[in-house]
Order: sequence, then C-alpha cells, then structure tokens
Amino acid sequence: MIKLTIDGKTIEVQEGTTVLHAAEAAGLYIPTLCNHPQVTPYGGCRLCMVDVEGARTLQPSCTLPATDGMVVKTNTDKVINARKFVLTLIFSERNHFCMYCPVSDGDCELQNRAYDEDMTHWDLQPNWQPFEVDASHEFIILDNNRCILCRRCTRACGELVGNFTLGFEERGADSLLVADYNVPLGESTCISCGTCVQICPTGALIDRQSAYQGKETEVDHNIGVCVECSVGCQRNVLTRDNRLVRIEGEWDAELNHGLLCDKGRFLPLEDDRSRVLTPLVRKDGQLKAATWDQAMSAIASGLTQGNGLAALASTRLPAEDLALFKSIFADGLQAELVTSLEEGKTTATLASLADKIGKPFESRQDELKDTDVVLVLELDLVEEHQVPGFFIKRQIPEGIKLIVADGKDNRLAEKAKVRLHLKAGQEGSFLADLLKAIENGIEDNDLNQAAEILKAAEKPCIVYGKTLAENADEKTLTTLLEIAQTVNAALIGVKGEANSMAAAQLGLEAAFKSNGYQSAFILLGDDHPSQKLVKRLEEIPFVVAQAAYYSQLTGNADVVLPVTMWAEQSGSYLSLDGRLQTIGKALDAPDGVLTSTEALLKIAEILSVEPDTDWKTNLMKRVPTVQIEEA
Amino acid sequence: MTKPKVASDWLCGCAGCHMSLLDIDERILQVVELVDLRATPITDLKEPDKDGVVVGILEGGIANTHNEHVAKKMRERCKILVALGDCAVFGGVPAMRNFFGEEAALKRAYIDAESNDSEGKIPSNPELAEMTRVRAVNEVVKVDLHIPGCPPHADVIFYALVELAEGRIPEIKNDMLHWH
Repeated sequence: MIKLTIDGKTIEVQEGTTVLHAAEAAGLYIPTLCNHPQVTPYGGCRLCMVDVEGARTLQPSCTLPATDGMVVKTNTDKVINARKFVLTLIFSERNHFCMYCPVSDGDCELQNRAYDEDMTHWDLQPNWQPFEVDASHEFIILDNNRCILCRRCTRACGELVGNFTLGFEERGADSLLVADYNVPLGESTCISCGTCVQICPTGALIDRQSAYQGKETEVDHNIGVCVECSVGCQRNVLTRDNRLVRIEGEWDAELNHGLLCDKGRFLPLEDDRSRVLTPLVRKDGQLKAATWDQAMSAIASGLTQGNGLAALASTRLPAEDLALFKSIFADGLQAELVTSLEEGKTTATLASLADKIGKPFESRQDELKDTDVVLVLELDLVEEHQVPGFFIKRQIPEGIKLIVADGKDNRLAEKAKVRLHLKAGQEGSFLADLLKAIENGIEDNDLNQAAEILKAAEKPCIVYGKTLAENADEKTLTTLLEIAQTVNAALIGVKGEANSMAAAQLGLEAAFKSNGYQSAFILLGDDHPSQKLVKRLEEIPFVVAQAAYYSQLTGNADVVLPVTMWAEQSGSYLSLDGRLQTIGKALDAPDGVLTSTEALLKIAEILSVEPDTDWKTNLMKRVPTVQIEEA
Repeated sequence: MTKPKVASDWLCGCAGCHMSLLDIDERILQVVELVDLRATPITDLKEPDKDGVVVGILEGGIANTHNEHVAKKMRERCKILVALGDCAVFGGVPAMRNFFGEEAALKRAYIDAESNDSEGKIPSNPELAEMTRVRAVNEVVKVDLHIPGCPPHADVIFYALVELAEGRIPEIKNDMLHWH
C-alpha cells in the first residue's frame, strides 16, 4: 500500500492505482471524457489534468500511477483554466454545435463537462472542416463531425467485444474514425453489437432507433435480464410515454458489464408483427373477435382433458408462467403431453445425466473471461449467444488458444488455432477420439494438436452448442465430462432459448410427436412459431393459442388469447449457467391484453383446476446441470 | 437615479431570442420599471442612442457586412455588450453553412431548392450587404456577457436583465446554463 494526498486528503491505495482511481476511491471528483471504467485508460482528452507537486506540468490523472508521498491538487486555478482550455480546444476542433445534435442537453458528456465548468461560450472559433457522415449501417450512424477522438469506441470494439472493427485513420485534426480499412460501417466487419454507441460520450455514434426520441432525463429505466437467448445479459430498457426508446447493456452487470449483441439491443425495437388485441374465437370457420368470457367458454367446451390433450409452452416465457402452465396442464388436466416448444432437445440428455450423477457438472460463463484455451463444439458464437463469444474473441490478441470443432460454417473458426471437423451425428466417436488423443495420442494430427493444447492449458473451457446437446446420448456426454475432468476444463453448454434451463428444471422436455391429439394448448407469448409446429397443429381438431402477435399459428387456431410481450410482463429467467434473474415490466399492455400468468389463471378457473403457484420450489426440485444461484 | 438605458438588435438570427424575451410576459413591466428600454426591433426607435446606452444586446450571428456594421455600432455605443442566444454566442444554426461555404449555400437556396422554379438565380445587387462566413459576435467585437440557449429561457433573460439593470453582471450557470 502507498499513501498520497489529494486536495489535502490522505488516501491509502494499492501500488499501481491511478491518481484518478485513488481520487474516486476517496470520493473526490475529477472530470473525465476519454476515460471509461470498462476500458483501459488512454490519457487522450487531457480533461482530467491535475497538479502534482514537483511535476513540471499538469498530469493526466487517468493514466498517472499514484506514488508514495505524492501530493495532488485537483482544483487549483491552473487546473481549472487548463480544463476550460482543453474543452475549448475540443469544441473548436469539429462541429460541436449543440443546437443541432441529438444528444444535446443531457446526454452529451462533452456538453455536461462544459456546463460543469460554467462555460457560456468558446474563445476559439471552430475549424470548419466538414467530414462525411456515414449512415450506411442499419442501426448506427457514424458522424466524425461530432467525434472528440477519445477512442472509447475503438477500445470498446477491441478490448470488450474483440471485434476490432473500429479504428483511426490519419493523425491530429485529420484523425478519422473508420471501420476496417475505411469502408462504410454498413459494409464492414461490424456485428452491430452497439457497444460503441453506448460508450460514445458525444453524438459521434448514435443509433437510428432512438435519436431524437427521448433524452436521458425524459425516459424511464428498467433494468432486467435479456430474453433473446439463454446467456442472461442484463439490459437497461429505456421507455418514454409507454414506448420503447432504446435498449442498453447494463454497465454494472456482473456477467455482461454493458455488453449486448444486436439481438438484445437493436432487434427487439424492429419487431413489426401485428398485435393480437382481443380474444378470437372460431365461429362458422372464421376467427372472430370475442370477449374474454366467450373465449373462456369456448375453451371450456372445446379443450379436451387427459389423453388427447397436448400442451406446449415457449421457453421465452418467465419461469413463473412455465411452472404455472405445468401445474395446470400436467397436474390439473392430466394432459397426455406437457412440454416446451423446444421439446427439451437441448437439455433432456444433460438433465438426465445430472439426475444420474446427482450433482451439477457445468460452470459459469465467467470462466470464459479469464481462460487460456477454449474448445468450442458445434457452436458459432459469432452468430448466436454472442456475448460469451466476445469474452473469447477479446482474449485472442492476448494469446489464448481457440479450438473450434464444427461441421458447418463457423465464423468463430476464423480465429481458431486448431480447426476440427465434427460432423453432426458423429459427436460420440469424435469425443471418444479426442479423449483417446488426450490420454495416449492417436493417428490424427489435428486431434493430437488439440489434445496437446488442452492438456497444456491452465484454465481451459469447453463450450458446446445446441447440436451437440441434441445429438449426444448419455455415453457421449459422459465422454465429454471425462474430457473436461481429465484436462480440468470448465464445461459450458448454451442450451436453447432464454428459459430453456427453467423448462428443463420443470421437466418440460417430452418430444411432440403426431399422436392423434384431440386438442392442443400453445402458450406462445411473443415467440415466433416454427413452420414445423404450425404444420403439426394442423392435424389437431381444436387448438388454443395464447399469443402476443398474429402468426400463421394464430390464424389456424380455434381460440386465440391476447397476451403480453416481453416488455409488458415481469418474471424470472434461468440463464444457461444457472443464474436466476428477473425482468420487470417496462411497458403497459394494450387494453384487454393480459399477461400470460393472468390468462393461465383464467383458464385454470374455468376448468376448475387448483394450480400450484409455488414456482420456485418446483424449479429447484431437480438436480440442475449447473448450480442455480439467485442474482 | 436615472434608469440605465438598454438597447437591442438582431443580426443573423430567427428573432426567437427576442420572442423569448417577450415570453417574460407581465414581468416586462418590472423590466421597464428598472430600465429605459431604447432602440430594439420591437420598439419604434431603430438605432441605439448616439450618446450611448449602458447595455446593448445582440441576437444572431454575424453573417454579412451589414451585421458587422450593426455589431460594431452597438459595441461603440454600449458599455456592456450581451450576446443573446446560440447564434450570437456560437454562430448557431446559420453557421451550419460554414461547413459548405457561402457559394454552395446560395446555390442551394436560390437555385437547387425544390421550391425554386427553373429561373432561380442568386441575387446580386451592389446595395445588398456582402455575405460572409457566419461568426459568433465575439469573433467581431468584444462581448462582455454570453447568454447561450436556442433560445435562452425567458426566466434566464429576465434574471439577466434585472441583474444588469441593478448594476451587476449576471452569472449564467447551473440551471441557467443551456446551450441546447
């Protein structure tokens, strides 16, 4: 530990701590711009200059390591004047005219810092050099005119996301933020994760969806789990006047610390499907608008019970709904089939292995943040479950070794040290060979190389995708487990949709086979029904669908109940690695639309079923594949 | 004690700052109690008094030789020059044209704009002031007080006028400070 004095306050910090961090730890404020807690200090903007006793000039506190006995002043006239001068220089460099900028008056860190310094004007006139605005990207607008060259975006793109798309061309006042080798952002290697937009302190990177739609001071914030896949990122859903404005990654989230992928950040705002706004009941072959009571009596008379009834629920729904659904249809109505729309494909074998072993065998995704070797099996983390993919990609320049085994095109494989061919359906023999290669070596150079890398690893991880989970039998999984144990690797399986693991815990994993069902109940929520499901339901005489949006499925159904979409309901989600997290209601549902819970309770009432509402106990009953922890 | 004389004028602006001044509503009666409101775009007198005023207020940036002339005259005739609003303080919306140049701006306005007919031409007459790059007032004459905002809020204008009338220089900060 070392001791330093900042503004007369004696502070004790670890050696290596920057002056800025020391000041922050002591509750002292130093203004910054290029600095951001999630990326490496850069010392570019010079706003955080402080007066250090004995130093020849002012020093940037964000990159200056504190030393023992250091005496720092953060608020002398010299410092304050320098700060104003730095801001004046930044303002004069490009087009920082606030009156025509979407982030003005609240959302701009540059403007806010100028306000903090009581700046009413600039003493230097702007340099009137125009830069082209790049509006080629589907979601992001890149405006170099607003750029202050802080390089937060380039650091985020590389250090956090591992994509290395953004960079700088030229020097000094000509510095230009570019994608790849200066190609339009929309044609670049950008994966639309939007981290650069979120981290940009000015209006240089803005998103089309939310520009001019509401400032920070005008929106409501709703922090909760993302429901677009099973990773379980924390999001901040910004709403205004009951409308989605923007989705941001939650910087303070333990797992994703601000990161999201395009599916979690941008695509939910692009959903343009038509809402079901009233119950619908089929009458004389036509679906007609009806009241909830009429819909309920249609269900009471049309829905069969026991044998002949199939009930399926989307794994995008909260665990509360899945448990209630199971209680009503399995315990109450004794339906022949009660399962999820995923039919347990990616979880059933894994769950039964956990049952057999009697304890969890998978690990947290955080293991991927600090690893030296990653083996990825039948999974393209650039395409799906992207955030854990970011953890891997960003460590590649640090020298971590990536082994990708897949039979399909795999964009992550571009970065692989060893690329192995694994044909779907041959997981068993592949893993058996890999285990042999690890134990004794076999006549396959690539497998041997992979085995050597795994054996030499200190903190290896094995991540596997849906295909493996679906195709593997118990023996294959046992082999996988054996490999993990032999090389002491963390095992991480991505499973399916947002609540895939909750469905597994509730035992919603039976296969949906055409079986001459008399009636079916589909708890669809805001999910997209697959063509296969639509086709199968065509054979069933009476179909009830609980859905937020019109689809071919609702078009074919006999009763449709209008329910909420993800932002209009609250509930719990069990991530792929067992973190039990919640999402709160961010929007009010349209009139007449119920939450899935409310609609299920109505059904229970009309069919005289007493449902078990203790969802959590039911969720925890089964031995999980990975330890469940409440966030 | 005689009331301090105040004059104002507008340059390359939209009159919005003067509208915001009028938005002080009935408080304008308090203002005229405190000051002698002389030449302004909203009073009959059109030029600041030859023997000078205490406070001169300018709205708008300086976009041509005429604006320059008006700004210089106001500077000569007032003790305290106030730049009112983003155009006077920074150049404002008209300054957008600086990124393209005067020629391109004229061509766009008089020839290319969709609302022009095929005979659109750039006006040229020796009597017209000469167009220049749009400048903040402080680039041409010394400014004593900057009140940014697009427009500055009526409350800010009222506060500033009262402070000036009572012989103080207002501090434009915290809630008063908005660049928009």
